Amino acid sequence: MKVFARAQRLNQRTLLLCLLTALVAVSLVSLLVGAGNVSPSQALSMLLGGEDSEAYFVVWELRAPRTLMGIAVGMALGVSGALLQAVARNPLAEPGLLGVSAGAAFAVALALVLGASAATLRISVAQLGALIGCLCVLGVARWRGVGNDPIRLVLAGAAFSALLGAMTSLMLLFDQRSSDEVRFWVIGSLAGRRLEDLLAVLPSAVVCSVLIALIARPLSALALGERMASGLGHHPQLIRALVVLCVALLVGAATAIAGPIIFVGLVVPFIARAFAGPDIRRTLWFCLPIGPLIILAADIISRVVVAPSELPLGVLTALCGAPVLIAAVRARRLPTL
Amino acid sequence: MRPSGLKSDVRNRREHRKNSTAADDEPVQPPAGCWRWGERKINGASVLVERRAVWVNSALMVALVCAAIAYLCLGSLTLMPGEVIIALAGQGDMMTGFMVQELRLPRLVAACLTGGAFALAGILMQTLARNRLATPGIIGIDNGATAFAVASVVGVSVSLAPSAMALTGAVTAAVLTFGLAAGSGTQGYRFIVAGIGVGAVFGAITQLMLARVAIDTANAAYPWTVGSLNARSGGSVQLLGIGLALGFVASLALARSLTILRFSEATANGLGVNAKVRRIQILLLSVVLTALAVAVAGPVGMVGLIGPEIARALSTPRHVPVVAATLAGALVMVLADLMGRTLLTPIELPVGIVTAIIGGPWLLWILMRPQRSHA
Repeated sequence: MKVFARAQRLNQRTLLLCLLTALVAVSLVSLLVGAGNVSPSQALSMLLGGEDSEAYFVVWELRAPRTLMGIAVGMALGVSGALLQAVARNPLAEPGLLGVSAGAAFAVALALVLGASAATLRISVAQLGALIGCLCVLGVARWRGVGNDPIRLVLAGAAFSALLGAMTSLMLLFDQRSSDEVRFWVIGSLAGRRLEDLLAVLPSAVVCSVLIALIARPLSALALGERMASGLGHHPQLIRALVVLCVALLVGAATAIAGPIIFVGLVVPFIARAFAGPDIRRTLWFCLPIGPLIILAADIISRVVVAPSELPLGVLTALCGAPVLIAAVRARRLPTL
Repeated sequence: MRPSGLKSDVRNRREHRKNSTAADDEPVQPPAGCWRWGERKINGASVLVERRAVWVNSALMVALVCAAIAYLCLGSLTLMPGEVIIALAGQGDMMTGFMVQELRLPRLVAACLTGGAFALAGILMQTLARNRLATPGIIGIDNGATAFAVASVVGVSVSLAPSAMALTGAVTAAVLTFGLAAGSGTQGYRFIVAGIGVGAVFGAITQLMLARVAIDTANAAYPWTVGSLNARSGGSVQLLGIGLALGFVASLALARSLTILRFSEATANGLGVNAKVRRIQILLLSVVLTALAVAVAGPVGMVGLIGPEIARALSTPRHVPVVAATLAGALVMVLADLMGRTLLTPIELPVGIVTAIIGGPWLLWILMRPQRSHA
């Protein structure tokens, strides 16, 4: 038995390594393909040591930051999806579906209408909005009846998102300037974001990684049930509060960088659980490479499909994610967490 | 049979003697709260009319007329009701006449028709799915119609094309939603979430098309994405009018089946309703109504939810309040568009935003109430 478990763990390690390799490969492709008048072969020869100032500029100034941001956004969304699903004990809990992203988007739009434009302000504002959205949704989830039914929770989240979306458009009607700024941002895309945004996110990312490292174990104990977790010496309420904080920070940061991107937080943990099994700690490890993989792949597709123009990233993830949602809903017995 | 006084007993017996050829022996008293109409005139056939339904429908009708007059009066230029009536009769001031007849009246008609169609489609779909949240808007049919209609605006630009395209889109979305949810049945929430997924895909496709075209084309297609009565085309409105009239008659004809379909399929079959055939008829009717309404106003969310909800709150649970739902939907739409036009002048809110802001909290409230409250 022990041997079997070890073999499985080894297997998972190789799997994780494979995923990491795939991530490196995809990042490379992301550097080679895309916007700018530089062909993949030119970019490759530059990366291998060639002297090409144009290729240098396009690859290091345009594509590399974008790739980095894709990786960061993918990690944040994947991990926050897994965390939210674990704490809501609902496999369909997803920041985009439940209105956390909508809360962040609403807060950003509000700040823009009120006249803000500084990058740092935008991120903290988005995180605050995400926190409020998260609290609202989980408040609804703990309301009588709704929390027991995963699918009703999704419906409540959809209603909440629709409401926030309508209020966002309402505000934008008043203010044409912000409307122009927000319209492109609200679709969800990695195009034209600056590296400073990523740097501004860095502190909260560090805080989150520390927090996640601290709460991963208690969180997996929480999966056994509230009583069992308290019996093992954990504090369920505290864990929940910390997880909600983490999710808000991560989703807020990701939304501030790339706009609301729906369904990634659903798809990534879905795949990660298939690889890692039910333990939230392993799932989180698997989310780390899978999230960026999906975001980068979608981003590359968005650049290539209709070149020279680009598709919004959020559209692509919605197209890929909806079938997963339907598959999850169709499953005869809903997987419980 | 209810106990009846001596007088009516005597009358009953007299009637009985008169119709002694009929197979059934005693004329049945109408149930409490109902009138029976036309029992002697046509072969002894009669119609039961619920008293409460009559009151509710008349009240809604009066409210609708009041709302319509307010709609014609208020706006950038406020008119007196008297002026409006004179202008409607085709007399009086040229300017007022133009304002009322050319600007506000067509929009009012469009609001009434779309509201009625959305709400009628909503109550049909809710009855079909036996779930009060399963309106065409929520299960993705609106979005399907919108995606195809936007495709028609972005691609070809023939005046009637949006209706046809919206119809194609709505049918596609309906087939997808029902097909994908086939394993889990149309009851319960799984079906609805499958619909949300389908709706998300079509929403993404709409966004995708809007992102690809030039900005002025995208602006032309913008009303389709939020739901607005600003950019309705005359052809679509006429088509919707015809469709709503036919659909209304059809749903009245289906009313008895609708009432019975609220029970299980076995019960419905036992009561002599071919549940399968009726379901397909109801689904088709609902999809067509949604598509025609979307072709006029875009996906105005929540009217299909609020209209039937109001109708059900006012009516007795004895029957499915088709008429009341249609009237309530029209009323909601007229009031919402009136609010959108007047509340925040000079900015005009698209009606879809108004209904979303009113309807969103409503939907959340329905969801958070205890489980027993289903249609």
